[in-house]
Amino acid sequence: MKRRTLLKLTAGSAAVAGFSPVSLVVAAPLKELRLDYAYYSPASLVLKRFGWLEDEFKPDGVQIRWVLSAGSNRALEYLNANSIDIGSSAGLAALLAKANGNPIKTPYIFSRPEWTALVVRKDSPIRTLADLKGKKIAATKGTDPYLFLLRSLQTAGLKRSDIEHVSLQHADGRAALEQGKVDAWAGLDPHMAASELESGSRLIYRNVAFNTYGFLNVREDFLATRPAEVARVIKAYEKARAWIRANPSEAAKILSEEAKVSLPVALLQVKLRTDFSNPQPGSEHVKALQVAAPILKDESLVKADVDLGRAISELVDTRFAQPLIARS
Amino acid sequence: MSSQLAVPSSAAPPERRRDGVARRAAQVDAPSIADAAELARAAGAARASVAAAVRGAGGQRLRRFLLALLLPVTALLAIEFSVRGGLIPANLLPAPSQIVDTLRDLGTEGLLGHIAASTVRVAAGFAGGALLAVLLGATVGLSRHAEAILDPTFQALRAIPSLAWVPLLLLWLGIDEAPKIVLIAIGAFFPIYMGVASGIRGVDRKLIEVARLYRLSSFALTKRVLLPAALPAILTGLRNGLSLAWMFMVAAELIAASKGLGYLLSDGRETSRADIVLAAIALLAILGKISDTLMAVIEKRALAWRDSYA
Repeated sequence: MKRRTLLKLTAGSAAVAGFSPVSLVVAAPLKELRLDYAYYSPASLVLKRFGWLEDEFKPDGVQIRWVLSAGSNRALEYLNANSIDIGSSAGLAALLAKANGNPIKTPYIFSRPEWTALVVRKDSPIRTLADLKGKKIAATKGTDPYLFLLRSLQTAGLKRSDIEHVSLQHADGRAALEQGKVDAWAGLDPHMAASELESGSRLIYRNVAFNTYGFLNVREDFLATRPAEVARVIKAYEKARAWIRANPSEAAKILSEEAKVSLPVALLQVKLRTDFSNPQPGSEHVKALQVAAPILKDESLVKADVDLGRAISELVDTRFAQPLIARS
Repeated sequence: MSSQLAVPSSAAPPERRRDGVARRAAQVDAPSIADAAELARAAGAARASVAAAVRGAGGQRLRRFLLALLLPVTALLAIEFSVRGGLIPANLLPAPSQIVDTLRDLGTEGLLGHIAASTVRVAAGFAGGALLAVLLGATVGLSRHAEAILDPTFQALRAIPSLAWVPLLLLWLGIDEAPKIVLIAIGAFFPIYMGVASGIRGVDRKLIEVARLYRLSSFALTKRVLLPAALPAILTGLRNGLSLAWMFMVAAELIAASKGLGYLLSDGRETSRADIVLAAIALLAILGKISDTLMAVIEKRALAWRDSYA
């Protein structure tokens, strides 16, 4: 019997037996591991700089491919398109993507940041959230700053339709604010910290509770078929987290060089605005998403019939990383 | 009688022609019942042949329309069943029925506003780009000197992709309507400029020499010779320019838009809503096709005088 015929018969019988195509490729050895790195995730920058993942996977002949994510929206888009296997995003942004069909799971929390706030120019007459009514506000759709903006407006009794939202990527949002092209900006560190320290921009509204954690997301099929590899990545992240906690100034230096921001800006982000203490997904993270989730329906960002409670429970994997974090 | 009528009068010998005329005159004076019946039969046959021709043309048009629908309908049905059967993940390619539902939902959330915003931008950008392109294209087409000065620069600028203009236009013109309309105008400009310049340059030299022999003024030469001769190329340029205006509009609406089909497309992209992305693409295709059809009608009317093959 020809090899091709045998392969066809095997594939055919597997299909008849009800196996999914995913289960057929389990045995194939991994050739390349694709991850993102992001300026809002210092741990990813440390990993990339020291090459710990490359060292970990080199004996197996696995190549590590790093892809820059300019924001949660990009990371989640790459995950959805199967362009990366593991990507970093904000928690609520991950939930938005998950609720809209992005096949991801979150087995690890890379940080608890206060990476977003509402920012105005130093000479702006805007002082409170109520002053934002009818104003032009820049924010990157599908990211924590955008969702932070919507939740902040809601606390002042305002809706998305009460402001003019200008969709700009984070760095462009900063430029638009400083050039006076928008009245306010839902910022993201390190751009926000840079605008504060270098241009004197003011944060008019801060709320740590509205910042929804740094989620390390994995494609569901990758997590299901490559749990050992995902575990090794999480162990490497744990190593990076421990190193950052022990060496915050050096971590800030890496961020400064990678993101091309000044050292004071990087120090502000790493030392004062990012908490690296609790990487284990748990009830705290689930509750944060449950509190935040209604905004997605209120602003029609998800379909009306989507069950957000179910999406949260399917997104946050509270068990996978437990033994890895306990050992670290 | 019928055989005589079939012979063109110029081809018949003079005496037969006179004879035929006399006979026809006599028949008109005293028509017989047989002739009346024959005339009625002929009229009926003519009516039937005209109806058949109309039916044939209509049938052919319908057949062409159905053939044009064959590929998209087959593809849509295949996608629908593939998604429903789980062969294609719905997060990557939603079922067409889901896209229809999305369009219905968007309809209640200001879809017409998005369509209007994009259409106005395309119209404004196309008008501006076309006006400039016709003026500069005509200048380059009419003057070798102008061609030597302007054309190399325009050809270099033509090679710049639409997205490359975005950061510059943001920097120079801010984030309001100006950069969007300018980008669309840039997109529309080049094919129209090329059409006008090459159309005028391609006019047969003999036509111009004949016009000069008749001592036509520059205005008359342009109106009666250059414009009609260059019109096919100009209209093709305008049609291509309009197509590019729609394409550049999507890039333009990435410049901090808060309305429009390009905005809707990026909105779907940023929120992992492939159904919104595809709904926006479908609307862009429909609007692009409608505007292209309108241009094709204008082109057909404007060139009705041409004795061309198709």
